[in-house]
Amino acid sequence: MTQATAVRTGAAVALSGLHKRFGEVRAVDGIDLVISPGEVVALLGPNGAGKSTTVDMLLGLSTPDSGEISVFGRTPREAVKAGAVSAMLQSGALLEDATVAEAVEMIAALHREPMPVQRALELAGIADLAKRKCTKISGGQTQRVRFALALVSDPDLLVLDEPTVAMDVETRRQFWQTMRAYTDTGRTVLFATHYLEEAEEYADRVVLMRTGRIVADGSVAQVRATVSGRTLRAVVPGVSRHVLAGLPGVRAAETRGDQVTLTCSDSDAALRGLLALQPATHDIEINALGLEDAFLALTGEDVR
Amino acid sequence: MNTRFLALELRRAVRNGRYLIFTVVLPTVMFLLFINLYGGAGQRFQNGLSVTTSLMMNMALFGVIAGPLAIGARIAVERGSGWQRQLRLTPLSGAGYLFTKGALGMLVALPGIVLVSIVGAVKGVELGAGQWLGVLGTLWLGAVPFVLFGIVVGLLASADGMQAITGLASMLFGLLGGIWIPADVAPEWLQSVMKVLPTYWIKQLTEAPLVSGVDVKTALLVIGAWVVGLSVVAARRFRADSARA
Repeated sequence: MTQATAVRTGAAVALSGLHKRFGEVRAVDGIDLVISPGEVVALLGPNGAGKSTTVDMLLGLSTPDSGEISVFGRTPREAVKAGAVSAMLQSGALLEDATVAEAVEMIAALHREPMPVQRALELAGIADLAKRKCTKISGGQTQRVRFALALVSDPDLLVLDEPTVAMDVETRRQFWQTMRAYTDTGRTVLFATHYLEEAEEYADRVVLMRTGRIVADGSVAQVRATVSGRTLRAVVPGVSRHVLAGLPGVRAAETRGDQVTLTCSDSDAALRGLLALQPATHDIEINALGLEDAFLALTGEDVR
Repeated sequence: MNTRFLALELRRAVRNGRYLIFTVVLPTVMFLLFINLYGGAGQRFQNGLSVTTSLMMNMALFGVIAGPLAIGARIAVERGSGWQRQLRLTPLSGAGYLFTKGALGMLVALPGIVLVSIVGAVKGVELGAGQWLGVLGTLWLGAVPFVLFGIVVGLLASADGMQAITGLASMLFGLLGGIWIPADVAPEWLQSVMKVLPTYWIKQLTEAPLVSGVDVKTALLVIGAWVVGLSVVAARRFRADSARA
């Protein structure tokens, strides 16, 4: 779908050809992404994959070097002004001299059609903390206050940048329960995370990022299928990585001296091809790839 | 401007204990202390101003410096903590944010002036209605350069550096502005330094409704230069900040 079509058909988010570099680093290196209203999308990837940079541009907090961004058919800043999009930011302390309710009230005061402060606090599960100073609460509670700050504008699109990063397991579970109650009302959600299980459990769709690009995009089941497979390890004397990567059934190849690691979608075909090409191959080892390994393989630096 | 947001900002500022002590109460306390020290009511300075009236105006001016300066400088804290990023996800524009801080700085300057004036009236300052209006109005408008100075510090300094800078700036503006020591007793070279600062000229202007011979033109020129200069620095810095993102 082209940007124009996506916008015309009422996409919640349409990114096309998005680039952003910081000095020599290509933080975001050509991203195209369309999110439909009502979708809950996980932006998954390791640190430095470009998730936060993408999120910042989507929110109008930074400007892309090139590419188009549309949020409900508007520019990010217009969408923010209209209260159509809000976000729970990763960084950012709260006001040290205000209570939780006051901080939420200040943000509410700036929006045109906010929900009542009390309701935002209830949705975020922190109604009991309303009168507490922002500095006198735990890390997990602080994240919930940020969640309330994002909710109070009653947005159609909610963007969460690594929302559960400071939470323990129990708090994390509770947070997602709250979150799910909200998404059940048909809101669009995009959340960045580097926890695979969060993406699996809470997203309808997973967008996998690595070094500024999208490497996989689909339903959880699809991405799981893409990343499942086997690894083949062997010693192959004097062979180039490119030859190995070209073998049938091989998705990615890695070499360390003569030691070769192949990530395979079809390890049988790969093994036949490898032996036909390199009869001197020895010490062959084939292992099933867990989802976690596959994720790491897909998002790892050396994979081509 | 979003008045509701301004009101919430004001509540936050006023609740700050340090604000209440330094900006509202301290000028009055100093005033009471000094009128006892300087021999009290009845005596007059060379320019014909009574000691009580002069001290009242000086102390009000002192209050006008610290509070407004601190408000602007708090921008540094909100910049560092990420609150400003949160605000950028609202309809509030960057300019709107700065104007709110400016209005806030002007508002917090008021109570200190009013309190020291009430105590002054009780302690025997006698002015006509027009004179009161002129003196108080000038004092209040005198807060403008300090509000702007605070905003510039808030945009330039780190949250840590801001504390030191505002402390030092408040002291220098007061000391070299002739609030604590009359400019007449300073050596000539120091006087030329004092005459570069806005404080000295605001003090001159506040006396204008009461005594003759005040160089109003130069006063407005120097204060105007400060206001324009600081505004330009703030605007440029602010634009650079936005562009970097």
